[in-house]
Amino acid sequence: MHPESPVRPPPALRLRGVTRRFATFDFGPVDLEIACGTTVGLLGVNGAGKSTLLRLLLGLLHADDGTVEVLGHRMPADAAAAKRDIAFVSEDMAPYGAATIGWHVGYVRGLVPVFDDAWARELLGRFALRPEQRVRGLSRGQTVRLLLLLALVRRPRLLLLDEPTTGLDPRVRREVRLELAALAREAGTTILFSSHLTEDVEEIASEVVILHEGRIARRASTALLLAEGPLDSVFLDTIAMPNPPMTIPRKACA
Amino acid sequence: MNPTTVFRLAGKDLYLLRLPLAVYAGAGALAVVLASIPDRSARSLGVTLAMNVFIAACFQLVIGNVLGERERKTLAFTLSLPVSPRELTAAKLLSSVSCYTLCGVFAAVALMSLAPAGLVAGAAHGGRGLLAHPLGWIPFLALVLGGFLVPFAIVLATAVVSESLGWTIAVSSSLIFVLGNGLIMFGPRLRFLGAYARNLGRGGPALPATLVVEVALLVCILAVTFWLQQRKRSFL
Repeated sequence: MHPESPVRPPPALRLRGVTRRFATFDFGPVDLEIACGTTVGLLGVNGAGKSTLLRLLLGLLHADDGTVEVLGHRMPADAAAAKRDIAFVSEDMAPYGAATIGWHVGYVRGLVPVFDDAWARELLGRFALRPEQRVRGLSRGQTVRLLLLLALVRRPRLLLLDEPTTGLDPRVRREVRLELAALAREAGTTILFSSHLTEDVEEIASEVVILHEGRIARRASTALLLAEGPLDSVFLDTIAMPNPPMTIPRKACA
Repeated sequence: MNPTTVFRLAGKDLYLLRLPLAVYAGAGALAVVLASIPDRSARSLGVTLAMNVFIAACFQLVIGNVLGERERKTLAFTLSLPVSPRELTAAKLLSSVSCYTLCGVFAAVALMSLAPAGLVAGAAHGGRGLLAHPLGWIPFLALVLGGFLVPFAIVLATAVVSESLGWTIAVSSSLIFVLGNGLIMFGPRLRFLGAYARNLGRGGPALPATLVVEVALLVCILAVTFWLQQRKRSFL
């Protein structure tokens, strides 16, 4: 390496030539690299491959070809170790209905190596949740807040969100977006979240990746896309006529 | 694989199953009480209740603890934590088998003291005094319990590997109706079964041999389940 060249920190995640074939859908090949500390919105219509990408990153799905690296760990081989620093919240996820919020916090505490009780109490206050509340009686908005709490309580370095705001009313959606934006700002957490709601992406993502038919149709900074017009229009234009992926400067790790 | 994680996950399952566990243990205890009443109808009811405990607990555990996690979307939550699919499988097998054993202990006592009356009497004749000498009846209890644990392990393996309610019901109903009824209908015609039962009743070599076979089958079924799970490439 040249002495004057800057030391490039490892990316939060890196996919190289990743493919996964299903009976009715082929994902990839996908090449993607996301720098630490960035908030990236993953846009795509239903069936575009957003959930497949997130599950590959979490090691819950094995790639047919290519390599997946998350926080320096090879997936899925090092999934359990990598998941100490990764949190995942999905619309297809639910806490245990018969248990209380306090029990869930204890359950997570028992499975992670480091746990900050004071931070857990602070988050409970921020999300207006009480430990003695039973999950079965929670509204959809409270359930999403609980899942986010259980993800954030671990202070993850990488937060993967699979359409977390689906089914929420506009007020709760806005609260969730604000919390995520605050998290990205305060803790420098890398966030990759999928959505088909461009409004969510517009508000908190610094970069956007548009997936279409299992491939990356476009990648650009949010500001650049917004300069071309409303994100909705840009998104729809892109999936109708895919452009080549763009290279954008990588941010330095915190 | 981290054993602490496996035990924590199994502990979570047992905590969430505490109510059915208590109900089935209670029903098993009631079956023992009914079995001890010297009345043919009460004894018959005890046997039926004990059999029901084994069958219902099997469905409750497999559908609730294994297949239900996916349906209720709680599997995605647990897999989002630092848990590998291998640890999750081990925990599911551990919690389901231990819960079924706990549910079935009383029911097995009821069945042991009723249905195989010849077995009990045979052991008593052999000088083992069932109640006076715990070691005299514990192997028989293990035998009855093992007789239910093996088919339960087959149903559990089907549920874990196939992740399908349809296949699980197909296999369990086959075991109950085809194998169970077949044994009831054709068993008495098989001469060697009579000799085998008499040997069991006397506490002869058939008893330890059967116990060994049961344990070996249980271990094999669970090991194959684990191996098949290892080969999966998708967990949600």
